[in-house]
Amino acid sequence: MPLHQIAMVLDLNKCLGCQTCTMACKKLWTDGDGMDYMYWNNVETRPGQGYPRNWDRIGGGFENGMLRPSELPSKLDYGQTFEYNYEERLFQGGLQAMPQEETRNTPNWDEDVGALMAGENYYFYLPRLCNHCTNPACLAACPRNAIYKREEDGIVLVDQERCEGYRYCMRACPYKKIYYNELLGKAQKCIFCYPRIEQGDTTACSKQCPGRLRFVGFLDDESSAVHSLVKVHRVALGLFPEKGTDPNVFYVPPFNPPRRGNYGKSVLEDARMPLDYLVYLFGQEVIDVIRRLELELEKAQNGGVSDVLQLLIGRDAEVRYQIPKRDQLVQIGGIGKA
Amino acid sequence: MKRSLALLFFAAALSAEMPSIPSTAAAPDDALDPASTGWKTARAVSLALHRTPPLYATDAPAAREIDSVQVQLLRGASAVFVRLEWADPTRDEVSLPGQEKTWVTEKLVTPSEATDRFSDSVAVMIPAEPGADVYPSLQMGDRDRPVRIYFVSATRGAAVMEATGRGTTHRTGERFPARLGYAAGKWAATMQLQNLPAGAPLSFAVWNGSQQDRDGRKYFTVWYTTE
Ligand code: SF4
Ligand code: SF4
Repeated sequence: MPLHQIAMVLDLNKCLGCQTCTMACKKLWTDGDGMDYMYWNNVETRPGQGYPRNWDRIGGGFENGMLRPSELPSKLDYGQTFEYNYEERLFQGGLQAMPQEETRNTPNWDEDVGALMAGENYYFYLPRLCNHCTNPACLAACPRNAIYKREEDGIVLVDQERCEGYRYCMRACPYKKIYYNELLGKAQKCIFCYPRIEQGDTTACSKQCPGRLRFVGFLDDESSAVHSLVKVHRVALGLFPEKGTDPNVFYVPPFNPPRRGNYGKSVLEDARMPLDYLVYLFGQEVIDVIRRLELELEKAQNGGVSDVLQLLIGRDAEVRYQIPKRDQLVQIGGIGKA
Repeated sequence: MKRSLALLFFAAALSAEMPSIPSTAAAPDDALDPASTGWKTARAVSLALHRTPPLYATDAPAAREIDSVQVQLLRGASAVFVRLEWADPTRDEVSLPGQEKTWVTEKLVTPSEATDRFSDSVAVMIPAEPGADVYPSLQMGDRDRPVRIYFVSATRGAAVMEATGRGTTHRTGERFPARLGYAAGKWAATMQLQNLPAGAPLSFAVWNGSQQDRDGRKYFTVWYTTE
């Protein structure tokens, strides 16, 4: 158990699917050799195949306290990284910029496809990163003890010296958020921008997010937005709680905009997407969360002030991020008290 | 769970019945070449390979696709040369780094071509402290009985490792002369090891990349001694 735990809350009602976070992360951390296919932060359309495809259906995590590893996803499962015929298009009179190989899968392959309910299309975006789990399956699976969880902030890191590239961690992570750099023969993953966090700055993905939907802070810091959303108002949940890793990235579940004909009706009365699907992603508790959020909505619609909805607007950086510099961490609560 | 596997193995006690590996004196200068004529005349012994049990209860036991490894020893003035040969229909070897470059944001980089392939490899394990009357555990030695491992990967080359039990294996940073070649469905590996006294224990391991072998998922022999 670390002394403190950094956490992120993402309000899925606000995600635009713009991939600014994805690119912010890619440019900062994964533009090196062997990292071409890695998106430590990715945004996928849900329902959909995800990245790597079918990651949510292949296994991983714990079952009755035992690791239940999946098979390793292939490079094609993550998606191709290809060149375009820019030469031809720009300088040789080509008509179209086209990928230079036949495209069979990409990280955002089924963008905006979604699914149908009652004849209408629905979908939402799910931004994903390593959950810096409290009980990381990746760490438990590593026979070399190369993966560690930092005492001071709970960030999960791979010791690049100790790692031998065995990829048990990849098989074990239920979120498939740990990658293999074949050129280096090492596992690599989201580092929660720890050099920025140590300076009291937020992660690149949250900093760049035009939707302002990411909240970052310490879960054990009672003055933080993440603490308030997860622990006090209890309107944010981790993905796939049944996988047993105790994730520290939380989501405010999406309502989706009203469909034709259901204006004024609550989501629970007349759902805009199958609630089963939200239960699949976030567990049964998502129904209670939706109920809580609807009560807040009602409060606001009746002219009252909802602290939760005000907080979720997240207008300013000061509202969204509460990140004490490393040397000031002693002043916040500590996991035991959270 | 992974720790409980340790029970399946044992610290083998020295046994007079332990088969020995014939060694031939006077290694030629080209002993590191697996095709050297020195190896044509050196006596060979075929050792049975065993499969480690699956690491996770949910994994099916791995098939035994390779049943033996042929071992030869040549003694030089200050080194021992080992030649290992085994049949493996799949050649799992990656040439790194890839030639192809691709754009990642504004940079040209070499991509990872695959995420799920593993390399064929081979290793010789010896006790790090020779002369003890109890052999180290086959599972990378014990706390009091460290082992030294000469490891050769078809992809990443040779490295010396040391260990004092499962999960403790680490690279010492030393390299050693070794060669690995594949022809006609067989791997042949030669390694130049430190000098080993007669009766020194040795054990061998083979990894089959196409079976996703790596780490403790491998083929192994029990301990044998040099003649
Ligand atoms: S999300 Fe996966 S990689 Fe990240 S800490 Fe959890 S188990 Fe490990
Ligand atoms: S930057 Fe923000 S709005 Fe854009 S995809 Fe990422 S999380 Fe969604």
